[in-house]
Amino acid sequence: MNDHSLVSATRGFQPDKNQQKNILWQKRFGKGLPLIYTFHTDKERNLMMPTSTLTKPKISENSQVSPFLVFFLMTSMQFGVGILGYARYITHFAGYDAWISILLSGVSTNIILYLIYKIIERGNKNDMIAIHKELFGKWLGGLLNLIVLSYFFSYVVTILRSYIEIVQIWLFPQFPTWELSLLILLLVYTFVVGGFRTVTGMCFLSLVYGGFLLLLVYFPLEYAHFSNLLPLFNHSVPSLLRASKQMLLSFLGFELIFIYYPFIKNPDQSKKWAHAALMYTTFIYVILAIVIFIYFSERQLSHTIWSTLAMWKIVKLPIIERFEYFGLAIWLFVILPNICLGVWTVTRGLKQQFSIRQIITLPFILTAILIITCLFKNRIVIDKLNTAVSMTGTTFIYFYIPILFIYQWLFLKVKKND
Amino acid sequence: MKWPWKKRRKKLNMPEQKPQDIKELFKHMEQSDDFSHFKHQQDTMSCWISFYKTICGLESVHREILPYIFKNNVKNLMDIKANLPIEDTLVTKDLRQIQDKMLEGHMAVQMKEDDSECLLIPAPSTENRQVTNPETETSIVGPKEGFVESLDTNINLVRKRLPLPNLYLKETKVGKLSKTRVSIIYIKGIANQENVNTVWQRIKTIEFDQIVDSSTISQIITDSHHSPFPQFIDTERPDRTASAIAEGKIAILVDGSPHAVIVPTTIVDFFIAFDDYFITWHIASFIRLIRLAAVTFSVFSTPLYVAILTYHYEVIPRDLLATLISSRAVIPFPPIFEALILELTIELLREAGARLPTKVGQTIGIVGGLVIGTASVQAGLASNVLLIIVAMAGLASFTTPNYRMGNTIRLIRFPFLIAAQLWGLIGIALCFGFYLSHLLKLTSLGRPYVEPFFPPRFTDLKDTFIRIPVNKQITRPLYLRPEDPMRMNKTRSQEKRDIDE
Repeated sequence: MNDHSLVSATRGFQPDKNQQKNILWQKRFGKGLPLIYTFHTDKERNLMMPTSTLTKPKISENSQVSPFLVFFLMTSMQFGVGILGYARYITHFAGYDAWISILLSGVSTNIILYLIYKIIERGNKNDMIAIHKELFGKWLGGLLNLIVLSYFFSYVVTILRSYIEIVQIWLFPQFPTWELSLLILLLVYTFVVGGFRTVTGMCFLSLVYGGFLLLLVYFPLEYAHFSNLLPLFNHSVPSLLRASKQMLLSFLGFELIFIYYPFIKNPDQSKKWAHAALMYTTFIYVILAIVIFIYFSERQLSHTIWSTLAMWKIVKLPIIERFEYFGLAIWLFVILPNICLGVWTVTRGLKQQFSIRQIITLPFILTAILIITCLFKNRIVIDKLNTAVSMTGTTFIYFYIPILFIYQWLFLKVKKND
Repeated sequence: MKWPWKKRRKKLNMPEQKPQDIKELFKHMEQSDDFSHFKHQQDTMSCWISFYKTICGLESVHREILPYIFKNNVKNLMDIKANLPIEDTLVTKDLRQIQDKMLEGHMAVQMKEDDSECLLIPAPSTENRQVTNPETETSIVGPKEGFVESLDTNINLVRKRLPLPNLYLKETKVGKLSKTRVSIIYIKGIANQENVNTVWQRIKTIEFDQIVDSSTISQIITDSHHSPFPQFIDTERPDRTASAIAEGKIAILVDGSPHAVIVPTTIVDFFIAFDDYFITWHIASFIRLIRLAAVTFSVFSTPLYVAILTYHYEVIPRDLLATLISSRAVIPFPPIFEALILELTIELLREAGARLPTKVGQTIGIVGGLVIGTASVQAGLASNVLLIIVAMAGLASFTTPNYRMGNTIRLIRFPFLIAAQLWGLIGIALCFGFYLSHLLKLTSLGRPYVEPFFPPRFTDLKDTFIRIPVNKQITRPLYLRPEDPMRMNKTRSQEKRDIDE
């Protein structure tokens, strides 16, 4: 086929962008050369990609949000209590090379996010509940859905209980767990009742309110020891990977897009924002980790549970001596979107699974969270909870999602050939 | 379902006296002493004239109507109608119409007393206040006209600022008893038609007996009846109204009210004084930022004082601690009690000042502020640090340009105070969270209330805390979904000129 025939074949209608590119390439490299890469038209690409027979979900435009808000949905979900103490956990394995592990986690979560988008798009832009039901049938799919939802549920419990623990340690040692838990959950109720848009609003504002806390990294720089970071690359690859696995708890939360995807207006445009969000969190974590590393010595850090909070102690303003008290109060707005979006996701998932109205399940879910948070009494149990959720998250993200991706591809291919 | 504890109220309908014919109608009206109904006898014809003396302009009746009726060449109603130099006269048999028109200030002319055909001649009296300075929204520079209690004058004030054929006006009557004239004004082609329909439909469906003021309307048609935040702004400045209409908003004017209600609004509008548009943008932005800081200070200062002194004294720096201790050492009360006393005193002063005549009010302010304040500190009932904080918070809350928003800010401080006492800083954060969730859910005419902030729309941020220069304000506020969003031609307005051209 020469370029003349290609042009004549497309005469009569405007060749689309990719066809134009093909023609241009053939002109540039001569007729004899075979095309190294063929640019497919969107139509051809759609034909090549197996898609499911699921019907596209219909969500009214009044409850949908703009695609760029996915950035805030993702970042606010990732910043939780993890950021207050993650430095100690990663240095346990990778020492002060751990910032490399954070980068590794950032890269891997971006890949996983790509897979998540692919799974959703093949499932005809449906949420995970419908995709599971299609792939595994009503019963097994339902079981998987319940497992995933209970994972999201335990994620919420972890965040809430950890925050209450920090408040009890730093501010009010006598504060009963149930009381603070009840107050926060009442607040969560008022947000979730407002629907997805209100929850998104909380996510957006949380990044605005919490964002200025990040500026506080300026204060410890006065006491920085940059030599703490040296020598670089002093740790083996396996220990770096182990640290990056530890890091994952702070990265969890982006997988909730599996449920809220149908609520995004023009979801194709949201992809770049989602990836930007993951890169932003990675960037913030790396910067914060480096500041912590140059402020604390490695020995000291290994004894500091909430390193970020401890670092705020150095912040001195003319009328505020101990800034971390304010920091902790403002931190409520950083964990609120975690809980709100998490609870919303669980109720939404239950609605898709069992078709129960969200307004009915919401009080039950909140009561369950209230009871479960009260069951965890001390530091050791809470630490175990954190580890368990982190483990579940790792399995979900690094094993289950790739497997689901491959299985869906095979499933749809076989179905198409039939 | 029948609730046993709910009292069933017997439905008491006003006994509707529907007159069967015109004679009965006039008989009914004659029971009121200001109704005059008399026969006029003349050589060529005789007729019956009836009107309410109090709502018809007697001077115009005598000077402009009666001479034409008393002319000799007049034989019947059609002759009178042809002779009168007044438009909108009407010959009708409709009893309902006759009654309504007469109560608006028309006068009725019949040939015979039991003749059902009537000529209705408009002669309403036009007594109203002169157009004067606005009372609550004063400005140092800029126009000094304020709305008055007459709907027609107010519409005139708006229309003369927007001489456009597509400045549309819709009028209706609201209120079972008061039958108040209510009109909405908007520019067709700029205002969103959906907004217009919503407002119109909400006004049409009002079920209420008496509309006293525009605030009654705005309270009835508001989106959330349980919100402490005002959702519609009302203004007494015709210039502000006109500029809002030009942005694509809709103004509601009510007869008998010197305020226009502007819909839809966002929370930002309540912190904008119209003065801000008369000064250059740097100064306007500076003042707006000061206002924002003042509101934040006014809401949070006392709760923070209570929270910190009750629970988190570690937060206070060492040098400041000495000052606080020396001022609080003799105070026998806990901080919350002290703060509540002072806050309530300020509220008392404010309320007393607002209810009393201006001259006495000032005295009360001085007596209250100086004497009570100093005395309570000297007596050791309140610490002077807190007195400074409370006084400054009171002062700061006065910077809110809108009276209704000022009241809201007055109110929302108290939940913060209580939360601060109960749970310290966490309590303040929680309380703020509750307000935040409420604000995020709030709508004004179905449009989000906290709009340029959430949903974030960066083009609308140009007129919030920072007001960018007027020639850069290219678009109308986008949350209104205006049908024509451009204020000016962007390319023409922003043409770059070279040096020395």
